[in-house]
Amino acid sequence: MARLLSSKWRPYVALLLLTILLAVADREQGRFINVATVFSTLQAFSTFGLVALGLGLTMLVGEFDLSVAGVFGLAGCLGLLAGADHAWLGVVVGLGIGLVFGLIQGLIITKLNVGSVPVSLGGLLTASGLAYVVTGNRTLSSDNIDLAMAFNDPLAQIFSIRSLVVLTIFVLAAGIFRVTRLGRDLIATGSDRKSAEIAGVGVKKLVVSAFVFSGVMSAIGGVMLSYGLASASPSGLSDVLVPSAAATILGGVSLAGGAGRPFGIAAGVLTLTVLRSGLTALAAPPFAHDVAMGLILFTVAVSDAPYLSRQMAAFGIDFRRSG
Amino acid sequence: MIGEDVAVPSARTFGRIRVGALIGDSMAATRLVVLLVLIVGAIATPSFLSAPSLTALLTTSSIIGCLAAGMTFITISGNVMSFALGATAAASSVVFTAALNIAGLWVAIIASLVFGGAVTGLQGLVIGALRANPIIISIAANVMIYGFVSWLTANETVFATPKAGHQILKGTIWNIPIDFIIFLALILIGQAIIRWTVFGRNLLLIGSGWRAAEAVGLPVQRSIFGAYLWAGFFTAIGGALLAIRYNQGNMSLAVHYDYDAIAAVLVGGTAIQGGDGSMIRTLVGVMAICTIQVVLLLYDFGEGWRYLITGLIVLMVVVLYSRQRGAR
Repeated sequence: MARLLSSKWRPYVALLLLTILLAVADREQGRFINVATVFSTLQAFSTFGLVALGLGLTMLVGEFDLSVAGVFGLAGCLGLLAGADHAWLGVVVGLGIGLVFGLIQGLIITKLNVGSVPVSLGGLLTASGLAYVVTGNRTLSSDNIDLAMAFNDPLAQIFSIRSLVVLTIFVLAAGIFRVTRLGRDLIATGSDRKSAEIAGVGVKKLVVSAFVFSGVMSAIGGVMLSYGLASASPSGLSDVLVPSAAATILGGVSLAGGAGRPFGIAAGVLTLTVLRSGLTALAAPPFAHDVAMGLILFTVAVSDAPYLSRQMAAFGIDFRRSG
Repeated sequence: MIGEDVAVPSARTFGRIRVGALIGDSMAATRLVVLLVLIVGAIATPSFLSAPSLTALLTTSSIIGCLAAGMTFITISGNVMSFALGATAAASSVVFTAALNIAGLWVAIIASLVFGGAVTGLQGLVIGALRANPIIISIAANVMIYGFVSWLTANETVFATPKAGHQILKGTIWNIPIDFIIFLALILIGQAIIRWTVFGRNLLLIGSGWRAAEAVGLPVQRSIFGAYLWAGFFTAIGGALLAIRYNQGNMSLAVHYDYDAIAAVLVGGTAIQGGDGSMIRTLVGVMAICTIQVVLLLYDFGEGWRYLITGLIVLMVVVLYSRQRGAR
C-alpha cells in the first residue's frame, strides 16, 4: 500500500481512483464517460499541459518558475498580433518571447545566485504588464476562424491537432528524459547541486536550460490556445499557474527538487482535467472548481512537506515504516 | 528548494537598531539616489502636489501598506512572500461589512481580525510545523479564499448600511486621512514587535537560517506561526479600511495588492531570503511604490504599465541586492 503512495506511482493511482469515483458518481447516466468528455479532457490537457511540463522541469532542478502564467498570456497575445497575416510568424514571435524571458531569468538566477521566486515574480509581472500594454487592455480577436477550426477539430473522435502536438512533446520529453544522460543530470542537479557539480554536471547550464524550456513550453501553450480560440486577452489567459503547480506536484515532482518525470506530470495534468470535466459534467457550481483546485494544491503541498512524517510520528502515526 | 534559501547569518544585521536604514552601505546609497529622483520626479509632475492627488496617495498607501507591513513579518521569517494576503484583505472586507451590518463597528473590527488571523495563521501553522512550501501554500490559500467567499456571497457585493457607524473612521485628522494614521500606527507596532520583543528577535534569527535556529532550540514552529498570525491581523485591518473607504465588501477590491506589497517590501530593502528587515524600510518602500503609481496615473498610464513597472522594479531590486550581497 505504501509503495502505491510513493511519488512514482502516486499520479497514476490518483488518476485511476478519480476516474472510478466520477464514473460511480455518474451512476451510468453517460454524462461522464463518453467520447465528448474524453475529447474535452484532452483539449483541457493541452491548454495547461505544456505549462505544467515546463514548470515541472524547473521544479525538478530545485527552482520554481512563477513567470509561466505571464509568459503564457503574453505569448498568446503577441502570437495573435504578429500572426494576423502569416500564422507561422506569430508562432516564431511567441516562441521568441518565451525563449527571451526564460533566458534572462535563468541567467539572472545563475549568474547572480539569487532565488528563483523573486526573479520569476519580476518576470511574471513584467510579462503580464507587457501583455496589457501591447493589447491596450482589450481582448484581441482574429478573423482566422479556419485556423482555429483546424487546431481544434476532432481527429479520430478524441484528438485534435492541438492535443496531438502536446502529446507528442510529452512523449519526446519522456523519451529524452529516459534514454539520454540529460534526465539523470537534471535529477542530480535537483537532488544535490554541489555534488552534481563536482561530478561534472553543468549545473548552471541546466538551470538556465530549464528556464528556457519552461518559457518556450508556456509560450507554445499560449500561442496554441489563442490560435485555437481565435482570440486572446491579457487577463483571460492567466489562470494557468494554480492548476499547473498542482498538476506537477500531484504528478510526483518534489518541491525540494530531484524527483519527477514527464509522464508523471502528464498523469498529474490528466487527473486535474478529468476532475474538471467531471465536475462540469456533474454540473457543479463554478466556484467549486476553484475550491477543489486550491484544496488539491494545498493537500499535495502538505503531503510533500519535509517534516510531515516527523510530525505524524509525534502523534503516534508512523506510516513510513509500514512500507 | 524555494523558500529555503538559507541566508548567511551576518552580525551586521542583528542586534543593532538601524534607525538610519537609509545610510551606511552602497545599496543604501543607490536607494537614496533612487528615492531622490522619485521625489523630484513626483514634485515635477503637474498636479502631483494638489490636495486630491496627495490624499489619494495617502489612502492608497495606507491599505497597500497594511498588507506590506504584514508581508514584512513573513519575509523576515524566511518564508519569502505570500500570495494570499490580497485575497485575505478582500475577504476581510466582506466579513467586516457583513458583521458591521449585523452588530456594529466593534464587532466588525474583531470579526475581521479573527478571520484574517485564523486564515493566515492556519497557513503559518502548516508552514511552520510541517515546513510545507510557503509559496505553494499561499497560492493554494489564495484560490480557496476566492472560491469559498465568492461561493458564500454568490459573487455579489455586500454593501454597508448607511448608518452602520463606520463613518467615524472615514474623515481626516489635521488633514491627514485616518487610514494613514492607522497604517503609521501599525508600522510602529510592527517595528516594536520586531526590535524589542523576544519573538521579534527569534524571528530575525530563524529567518537567517531555520536549521541553525532549530539546532540551538529556538521555537521555530511557534515563531513562524506568530509571524503569519501578525501578518493576518495587519492584512485584516487593511481589509477593514477597504470596506470603510468603499462602504462595501467585495472580492475584487484587493486584486494586485499582493504584488504591490511584495514590491514595497523589496524596494524598502528587507532581504528576500529573510533574517534582515524592518517596518521603517517597508514604510519607505510603500511610499515609493505608491508615489510611482500615483505619478503613472497622473500621466495617464493604465493598469498594464503599473504591472510592467512593478515587475521591472522587482527585478532591479533583486539584481541590485544580490550584487551588494556578493560584494560584502
